[in-house]
Amino acid sequence: MGLLARRKRTKIILAFLLPELALILSFVLIPIMGTFVISFKTDHGYGLDNYYGVITERSPDKALVIPENIVKAQPPPWGALIHNIVWVAIHVPIVVFLGLGIAYLLHDVIGSSIVKSIMFLGMVIPMVVGGLLIRFMFDGDLGVVPLLFRKLGIEALSRTWINYPQTALIALILGSVWLWTGFSLTVYAAALESLPKSYIEAAKVDGASGFQIFFKVVFPLLKHATIVVVIMTMLWDLKIFDIVFVSTLGGPGGATNVMALIMYTYFARALDYGRSAATAVILALISLIPGIWFIKRVMRSGS
Amino acid sequence: MVSNKSFWVIVIGAIVLGIIIGAAATYLTAGKQTVTKTVPTTTTVTHTITSAVSGAEQAATTTKTVTVTTTSPAETTPTEKVKLVVIGPWSGKSAEYFKAVIDNFTKKYPNIEIEYIARRAEDIAKTAPLQFAAGKTPADVIITPWAWWIVEMAKKGYVLDISNLINPDEYIPGIVDKVTYEGKIYGAPFTMWLKPGFWYRKSFFQKYGLQEPKTWDEFMQLLDRIKKIPGIKAPIATGDGVGWPESDIVEHFLITFGNPELQLKLINCEAKFNDPQVKEIFKKYLVPLIKNGYFSEPIEWTQAAELWWNNQYALYFMGTWITGRVPDPNDLDFFPLPGSKGVVGGADYAFIPKFTKNLEAAKLFVKFVATEGQAYHVAGPAGKIPTWKKVSIDQLWKPMQTVYKKITERGMTILPDLDDSVGGDWQTLFWDQLKLLWADPDKVDQILDTLTQQHPACKSK
Repeated sequence: MGLLARRKRTKIILAFLLPELALILSFVLIPIMGTFVISFKTDHGYGLDNYYGVITERSPDKALVIPENIVKAQPPPWGALIHNIVWVAIHVPIVVFLGLGIAYLLHDVIGSSIVKSIMFLGMVIPMVVGGLLIRFMFDGDLGVVPLLFRKLGIEALSRTWINYPQTALIALILGSVWLWTGFSLTVYAAALESLPKSYIEAAKVDGASGFQIFFKVVFPLLKHATIVVVIMTMLWDLKIFDIVFVSTLGGPGGATNVMALIMYTYFARALDYGRSAATAVILALISLIPGIWFIKRVMRSGS
Repeated sequence: MVSNKSFWVIVIGAIVLGIIIGAAATYLTAGKQTVTKTVPTTTTVTHTITSAVSGAEQAATTTKTVTVTTTSPAETTPTEKVKLVVIGPWSGKSAEYFKAVIDNFTKKYPNIEIEYIARRAEDIAKTAPLQFAAGKTPADVIITPWAWWIVEMAKKGYVLDISNLINPDEYIPGIVDKVTYEGKIYGAPFTMWLKPGFWYRKSFFQKYGLQEPKTWDEFMQLLDRIKKIPGIKAPIATGDGVGWPESDIVEHFLITFGNPELQLKLINCEAKFNDPQVKEIFKKYLVPLIKNGYFSEPIEWTQAAELWWNNQYALYFMGTWITGRVPDPNDLDFFPLPGSKGVVGGADYAFIPKFTKNLEAAKLFVKFVATEGQAYHVAGPAGKIPTWKKVSIDQLWKPMQTVYKKITERGMTILPDLDDSVGGDWQTLFWDQLKLLWADPDKVDQILDTLTQQHPACKSK
C-alpha cells in the first residue's frame, strides 16, 4: 500500500472512530472515573472508609455477606452477594440447558420459528413489566404457579411465593428463567443452524444414538455459543435490579436483596453517595471476573 | 493497523470532542432564566369551586362552595407571564383533586401558569439531589410527604428558608416542626391525611349484624364472627405497597397499647423497639392475630382495597384517602382499636429549591398552597384535612367531616407517622422487616432487635 493510500485510510479510520470515542469518553469513561473517585471520598478527605462500611454492613437491607441476627434465626436472608451467587448458580445452568434443549428439539421443525418468537418475548418485555408479571405469576390468588401446586395438593407452595423468605428468591430466579430463556434459545438456534450437517450424518453412519450425537457431537460443537450464553447470563444475574425492585424491593426481611439494590438503597434512601459508588465499584470488579475470562476465551479462539 | 501517531491523534481528538459534547449537553439541559417584575398588591379573594370529581359517587358530586377570604399584606405579583414548574406526589384521581388548588391559584394570579408534574417522593428524592448538586432544580416548587428529606436537603443548603412566608402558630401543633431546622422553616405544610383505624362497609356490618367493638375482647369476638362468614378469606385485609400499610397497622397497635407518647419516644429512640413494653405489645396483641390468620397475606394495597370492597375481607386498615377511592363513601365507616387515644397523621410539604428561576412566583404558590389553597383541596374527595387552622372543618368534604368528628369525639391526638419521621433507609428497613413479621411471626425478637440496632437515633446514642 502506498503512502497516500495509507494516509487516506488513516483519515477514514479517524473519521469513523472519533465520534464514537468522544461519546464513550463523555458518557461512559468520565462517569466511571467519577464513580471511582466518589467511592473513595469520605468526610475527612479520601480513604477506604466507604469500602469498609459496605463490606462490614450487617443491616438486612444492605448486608453484603451476612446480615445481623442471623445466628438467632435461620436464613434466608443471607447477604446480597450470596443472593447474587445463588442466582447465578441456579439461573445459569437452567437457562443453558433449557435454551439448548428447546433449540435442539425445535431444530429443523416446521413452524418452530413461531415457538421461538413467543419464547423470545420474555427478552422484549421491559424488565419492570417482567417484575410485575413475576409478582402476578407467584401470587397466591391470581398466580399460575401457586394454582398448580394447589391442584397438586401442596399447600406450602400454593401461597404467594414472594411474601415468604423461603420462597421469594427462588420465585424471582424462576421468573428470570422465563424472561431470559429466549436469549439462550436464540443463540443456540443460530449456532445449530451453522453446524455442518455432515458431522451429524457421519455420526449416524457410525451408528451413534441420538443421545450420543447430542452429547458427543452437537454439544461440544456449540462450545462458543455456550460460552456466550453462560457469560451473558452471569453478567445479567450479577447486575440484576429491575425485577427485584418492582416485585419485592429486596424483601421480605432482605431475603431477595441483591448487590445492585444495595447500591440503589445507599444512593436513593440513605443519600450516601460514597457507599453507593463503592458498591458500584465492587459490583463492577466482580462482574469483571467473568468478563475478562470471556474476552480471553474469545481472543484465544480468534488467534 | 493504525500507527502510533494516529493513535494519539484519535485519543486527543476524542478527548476534545468529548469535552465539547459534555459542555454542549450541560448547556442544553440548563433551564432558561425568566425575568419577573413585581409590583405590590393587596388582594381579597373569594372563589367558588365545584368538586365534581368522578369515582367517589354522589357524595363527591355535591357542589360545594368554598369561600376563602384572605386579605394579604403587600404581595409581589409578576406583571409578565411566568411559567412555574411544580412537582407533586399525586397522579390519577389524586392529581385531579390537586388541580382544584392549581386552578384557583391561577385564577388569583393570572400571570402565573403552572405546569404540574407528578413524581413519587421516592423518585424525586433520588434524582433531585444530583440536580441540586449541579446547581439546577427539576422544578420551582416541589411537594413531598417526606419532611425528613426536605430537612436533609436544607442541611446541604439546597432549600430556601421560608420562615417569613408562613406563621407556625396558624398550623396544627408539631406539623411545622418536622420541616424546621436550626430555627428556620424550610417547608410549607399542605393538607394532611389520617390513619384512623379499620375501615368497614356499613352495608356489610348491617347484613351480618356486626357492631363496632368497644373493648379488646369485643374486637376479638368481632374477628371470630367475621372469620365464620362464608366467602370471607380473612377478617382483615393487609395492604402491601413497598411495605407501608403494615407499618400503619403496627403504629396503631403501639399507640393503642402503649400510648401516644410511646410513638413519639420510638421516633427519637427514647424508647426502643426491643424494650419489654414494645415486645409485649407485639407478642400479646399483634403476633397472635397474624399467626391465627386474622390478617390476610400482604396484598398490593389497591388490589386489597378492591377485594375488601367486594366483601372478601371485612376490615381494612388504611388512610383517610380511601374515602375518595371507594365507589360509595356513604357506605364507609371506621373504628380504631378500642381505647386508642392517638391517630397517625401526616402532611405533604411544599418547598422552594434554592436554584429556582422564578423565586417570587414560587413564593406566592407555596404560600397559597400552605394557606387558602388547603380549603380547595379538602373540599374535594381527596380524603384530607387542613393543617392550616384558618380553614374551618365545615369546609371539609362531607364524608371527611364525619371522619374528623369521630376522631375528635374520641379525643384522639394527632401524632406524626413513625417511619415518615425517622425516614432515610431505616424507613424501608422498617417496612421490609414488617413484611418478614407477617411472613414469619416467630421471628419477632430478631425483627425488633434489627429495628433497634439500625434506628439512626439509637445508633447515635
